Amino acid sequence: MSECPYRDPFKKKRSEGPVLETEFDNDPVAMILGLKDVRKAARNHETFSSNAPFRVPIPREEKLRSVRQFPIESDPPEHTEYRKIVEPIFNRPNQPDYQQRITEIIEAVVIPCMETNSFDAIHDFALPLQSRALALLLNVPEEESELWIKWGVHVLREGDGSSKGREMENYCKTAFRKSSEWGDDNLFSILNDASFQGRSLTDDEKLGFANLAFAGGRDTVINTLCIILAHFAENNQDLVRLGKEPELINFAGEEFIRFATPLTHIGRKCPVDSNVHGVLVKANQLISLNWASANFDDTVFQNPEQIKIERKPNPHIAFGNGPHNCLGAPHARLLMRNFIRVLTQKISNISLLSFESKTEKTKDYQRMNGYERLELCFSAK
Amino acid sequence: MAKVTYITPSGEEVAVDGAIGNLMEIAREHDIEGIEGACSGCCSCATCHIRVKPEWLDKTGRATEAEQDLIDLESDTDERSRLSCQVEMSEKLDGLIVEVAPF
Repeated sequence: MSECPYRDPFKKKRSEGPVLETEFDNDPVAMILGLKDVRKAARNHETFSSNAPFRVPIPREEKLRSVRQFPIESDPPEHTEYRKIVEPIFNRPNQPDYQQRITEIIEAVVIPCMETNSFDAIHDFALPLQSRALALLLNVPEEESELWIKWGVHVLREGDGSSKGREMENYCKTAFRKSSEWGDDNLFSILNDASFQGRSLTDDEKLGFANLAFAGGRDTVINTLCIILAHFAENNQDLVRLGKEPELINFAGEEFIRFATPLTHIGRKCPVDSNVHGVLVKANQLISLNWASANFDDTVFQNPEQIKIERKPNPHIAFGNGPHNCLGAPHARLLMRNFIRVLTQKISNISLLSFESKTEKTKDYQRMNGYERLELCFSAK
Repeated sequence: MAKVTYITPSGEEVAVDGAIGNLMEIAREHDIEGIEGACSGCCSCATCHIRVKPEWLDKTGRATEAEQDLIDLESDTDERSRLSCQVEMSEKLDGLIVEVAPF
């Protein structure tokens, strides 16, 4: 793992206590670190609320989007009703024909890369794969994804962020108007036709759903795909083993998702003054659920900094936990598993030609969670 | 052919005849309320938590060590708790009754 893109930056902080008192946006944030504590807090929406528009992501996003995201920035029971509206879309990966289509989309990206001496794993591979797979999930024509690819790796934080965010919101407004051309069972049509508490959704609510659908599973999926590719490039034995033991592919998928934990943390607001493991959090201030720290908690995971493709149990919370667990998780899991399967079937070796790690830098930690650049070469079987 | 009955969190009893596979897969095929099986049997999610009726525990067996590690992270568990993905249906379990735990 000499080139491993990730070292656990929270290891020492976890040994010092359950909470890291840090700050974002010039406000204090009590960051919960241990797996059991994070799980428990994630399920306690009364003490740790998601009813905090623009503040569930940390840093806050007022400047990056014009609308509150749904269903994530709401609490039960409203959250439950909001979430049910889009469940038919996000449960599509359970359909057998969907699983076949995902494999075809993956192969259509892998095969051209097999025919070159080098490829850019982010822009030639992971970004188009994520976008085309998203078109399948949202049940819109795949051609739509060609525009989404141009929005870059992180639609809200690419460059200064705001311009891409506006472009994406304008695209969504157009998509709501023309969605009936794509049928009545795509994300946009479903939101147009939805009922919430006996009324139609407002334009801002619809846009808030669409905003999350585009922003939520974008850089996260891309970073995870790249981390898997880089791991196989440095650990060919794991690629070979998964080819011989395909029954391990699901376990490997979980392990890569744990190891990558592409979303480091997420915010919750304390509605009233709260004592969080001995730290006073004043009303309206934030705590953070640190998924990345939790997934490397060595009181739960043996040798957490090692990728063990056969790890079981693997109680990671990379998709969150509790009522807000990631709506896109079935899609992401299927994508990762079928991606690994296609690699084991078509590729004998991956060469790492050059790379530059991506680092998330904050006041109290630096975390490598993907790549700025990753140049690879596939050797076909 | 083996039969299994799920008692859902809302109290409904759903019987499945000719049940083949593990109890999570069977539940998903029959849309049993409360069984999600998000990780497809990798012992990652615990979204397929069930409680076995006490009289059946000898035949199903108790949770394995890996399974128990995950169950220990959940609230509202007891010695009858199992992950349904880890219980393989068989003729010896014909008539089995399990309660689906609320998630």
